[in-house]
Amino acid sequence: MISERTLRNLRRELRRSLLAKIGIVVVVFILLMAVFAPFISPYSPGKQNLDEARLPPVGFSTAETREVTKMENGSVVIEGGEVVTEERTVYTNATAAHPLGTDGNGRDILSRVIYGARTSILVGIFGTSLAALIGVLVGLTAGYYRGRVDDVLMRSADIMLAFPSLVLAIALVGVWGQAQAPIPDPFVVTGLAPAFRSALGFTTGMPDTVVLPGTVIVVVALVNWVWFARVARGEALSIREEEYVKAARALGASDGWTVLRHVLPNAITPILVLATIQVAAIILLESALSFLGFSGADVSWGFDIALGRQYQSTAWWISTIPGLAIVITVVGLNLVGDWLRDALDPGIEGEGGV
Amino acid sequence: MSLSRFLVKRSLQGLFVIWGVITVVFGLRFISPGDPANVLLPPDVDPEVRAEVIAELGLNEPLYVQYWDFISGIPLGELGNSLVTRTPVAARVLAKLPATLELAIAATIVAIVIAIPLGVISATRRHQPADYGATVFSLVGISTPNFWLGVMLIIVLAVQFDLFPTSQRPIGVDGIVLLFVSGSLGEAVNGLTTWLWHITLPAVTLGTYFTALITRLTRSGMLDQLGQTYVRASRAKGLPETLVRYKHALRNTLIPVITVIGLQLGTLIGGAVITEAVFAWPGLGTLIINSINARDWPVLQGSLIVVAVGFVLVNILVDALYAYVNPQVAYD
Amino acid sequence: MAEPILKIRDLSTSFFTEEGKVNAVDSVTFDVEDGEIFGIVGESGSGKSVTALSVIDLIDSPGRVTGGEVWYRNADLAEEFRGSRPEAVDGDFVDVRRLPKGVRRSLRGPSFSMIFQDAMSSFNPSITVGEQIAEAVEVQRRARANPRRTRSRTQGYGLGSAILDTFLPNRDYVSNKSMDRAVELLDQVGIPDPEDRAEEYPHQFSGGMLQRAMIAQALAGEPDILVADEPTTALDVTIQAQILNLLRDLQEQEGMSILMITHNLGVIARMCDRVGVMYAGEIVERGPLGDIFENPVHPYTQGLLGSVPDIDDPSDRLEPITGNVPSLLESEMPNACYFADRCPKAMTDCMTRIPEYDLDGRHSVRCVLAEREYDEADALEQEVMADD
Repeated sequence: MISERTLRNLRRELRRSLLAKIGIVVVVFILLMAVFAPFISPYSPGKQNLDEARLPPVGFSTAETREVTKMENGSVVIEGGEVVTEERTVYTNATAAHPLGTDGNGRDILSRVIYGARTSILVGIFGTSLAALIGVLVGLTAGYYRGRVDDVLMRSADIMLAFPSLVLAIALVGVWGQAQAPIPDPFVVTGLAPAFRSALGFTTGMPDTVVLPGTVIVVVALVNWVWFARVARGEALSIREEEYVKAARALGASDGWTVLRHVLPNAITPILVLATIQVAAIILLESALSFLGFSGADVSWGFDIALGRQYQSTAWWISTIPGLAIVITVVGLNLVGDWLRDALDPGIEGEGGV
Repeated sequence: MSLSRFLVKRSLQGLFVIWGVITVVFGLRFISPGDPANVLLPPDVDPEVRAEVIAELGLNEPLYVQYWDFISGIPLGELGNSLVTRTPVAARVLAKLPATLELAIAATIVAIVIAIPLGVISATRRHQPADYGATVFSLVGISTPNFWLGVMLIIVLAVQFDLFPTSQRPIGVDGIVLLFVSGSLGEAVNGLTTWLWHITLPAVTLGTYFTALITRLTRSGMLDQLGQTYVRASRAKGLPETLVRYKHALRNTLIPVITVIGLQLGTLIGGAVITEAVFAWPGLGTLIINSINARDWPVLQGSLIVVAVGFVLVNILVDALYAYVNPQVAYD
Repeated sequence: MAEPILKIRDLSTSFFTEEGKVNAVDSVTFDVEDGEIFGIVGESGSGKSVTALSVIDLIDSPGRVTGGEVWYRNADLAEEFRGSRPEAVDGDFVDVRRLPKGVRRSLRGPSFSMIFQDAMSSFNPSITVGEQIAEAVEVQRRARANPRRTRSRTQGYGLGSAILDTFLPNRDYVSNKSMDRAVELLDQVGIPDPEDRAEEYPHQFSGGMLQRAMIAQALAGEPDILVADEPTTALDVTIQAQILNLLRDLQEQEGMSILMITHNLGVIARMCDRVGVMYAGEIVERGPLGDIFENPVHPYTQGLLGSVPDIDDPSDRLEPITGNVPSLLESEMPNACYFADRCPKAMTDCMTRIPEYDLDGRHSVRCVLAEREYDEADALEQEVMADD
């Protein structure tokens, strides 16, 4: 399926390209962060502390002019029966306890970024897998059978393409509602993460479920399967003309067997490259849906950006930091995609984006 | 096949896709949990009133009748009535369309004006600082969610430095034209500056992804073309380098770039929806989001149809343009 | 003996790749005489095409001409630069490599022109053939009208002109006069219905016709020297003969010289007056056609001739040269004759760099056999090639 030559090309391209190395490091880092969130997150992403709301990230402080009660010698100044107030600049300093600061409800932004990676990665991986499954099935069928089957399938793909993907996704999620499936977090349920945390003296009380945004996953797949169908169809069209495929069919191999045994393995390279780029596109799509409040997720980078908007004039970091997390992740994925494309040269361009 | 036959064939395909789009949009209602009547009526309403409303909306008709009613109105510009305001959907969509078009066109202009020179510079100064800069810009540009970019621009340029307004569209191009036609030149100029001032941040927000994408495509296309033998042959016959680069290499680079821009118009409209949400820009995107929040399905359906049909038509245009500029196209 | 129009001296071109420096052309020396066809023959990878591109100054990054001189006989240029750049002038000759960049560029067309192997990829697919030829005419027409401008960086055609030409359809680089001339040129190279064909795009031409069109394009500037890089390799045999005849006729009509690059000894035998044999970036033997074919000294030349079937003696066994062309990577090149490891007559003397020996003022060779006989006692221990 993946030949020795392919691996050699991958290695050579990786040696040659600094950007590819950066991409792999970033993607692996984000993946590890998402998987081991309950071990490394400083707090539970939902833990509020209104006394510590809107703390800036380390290295920053805020100055805010507030009206405060005037105090003299430790007592409140009262003139004419009224409590006297004065304008005073209040400085809020960052604390090491919240290195990336806190949001409007005093939740730790670092923890939310770490847990937000889970949402992005889950939707990215499951959404892409589902899209690939649908798309490859449709594409291989269309390309292998050609003729009328091809016409019907690819015309329906054209219909899907006529809708801007974000618009269609919004409409589908909007109409469908937001089904979510809480699944137990294995690290928390087995007690592994809590034991680790209390041993190191970390705060405990990590959420014991991971929320799987079901509707969002289905919708992003429905919106993006077409790209896979196009690539798979193109591959099937050319591979079916190869002599070995003709030979297999002449020997009486069934269509299904021929496709699985001969066509699919040879189409796998471009599909993998496309999948990498699609994970990036789907992460962007998920963040857009969350930003608009349509995904139902309450721990998601896009959602946090939206939450930060009401503080855009006082606490810029609440919107800024989750966005940086998205950019870094997507840059990493695009770099990996470029690496695969340069090394394997499947002749496809990246598609999609927000 | 001649160009005209190609265009006829392409238009027929487009018609088929439009029919498919309308059918999909019609079907959208059936995946929605709950009954449209619930949007209009309190849950404890008298069953008789309820039945009356359902009959009025035509929801008790057989499916094919509903489908026919839905589809037959569309060629006449009939998109039904809003469940909430009871006014015709078509009028509301049309009212919102200019704002979105302005935004999309402004973003496209920003993208093309910046991206093509940037891509060319990047390709002709390979491995120089300008090239690295353009490469990093385009990588980050295609990886940045535009809603976040919009928020960042607001925080920095609108809130901190107060250079631009945070949002809104006090006047549109239609308004400016009206002022101009009515003879109040001064006001028209004023309107134009106001418009420019307000549209800058949204246009940059929406245009960045495309700028990055087109830069990338132009760069790789230019590199590809500059490596072709015909470029070497053009130099061998003594042509000025400017002519080699811009008349020969760039023209051939732009032919595929045009197609990709066409294909990406969908992304542009998707991007416009969310950009409108960030900047409170009163266009189709805002209408779509509001209609979903209000469960006003006819408005959602109408907007979707307008967006998708527009997209199909633009793509036919792009194909025609492609066929026109590229003498090699086989029209199939 | 005719006077040379071009004297190449120690021309070297290297490519700076990730694997290291590749010396594609290594100290190449030869002359092209007035009105002659000089052939360079060699296997693919021997550096013959790079030599051609180096002469006409069209080496692209990561390659660079690293040394040597290209003396071109042009009394006007010599007069012009005698005062300002004496080092670039020698009698009627100028060293093109030492002329200012703009002047060098302005020589393409009226002094040097080039035709390429694959005509289909040598034309821009989206512009008509006639217009592309007319461009070559137009650039010379403008140069004659304003020579100084032609030597400027943009050759009088800046970004502004490019943008205007792109957006204003009635603004065209090419004038009607040049278009007419292009039709004449197409007629001259034997293309029927030249007026109609001029309006067609490259993909509407057959391979042979397009090769003719490319020759027409190269003639547009009335060059002194035409560099022909494998002009017939991509064509059918019958068409090859037509194209070669055409080149020969045109060369006689126009009195130009041709530098013919080919791997095909048949083409050399048919066309060339003198010939240089290239191996691993070097010219290993050069001289008049008869000398090289009848009296080859270098074992590589002998091998090359031995690997061509002799139609008169079909029983004669073909003798392939064993082994492969070396990589030309500088770090891997031996301090020895580059052919030694494949040479059937390699001797211990070959384990040093071999100079060029002049045999009779016309025939020279880069081989110790020019000076001594092959002696088996001195034979170099050849490792048996395992990998063929």
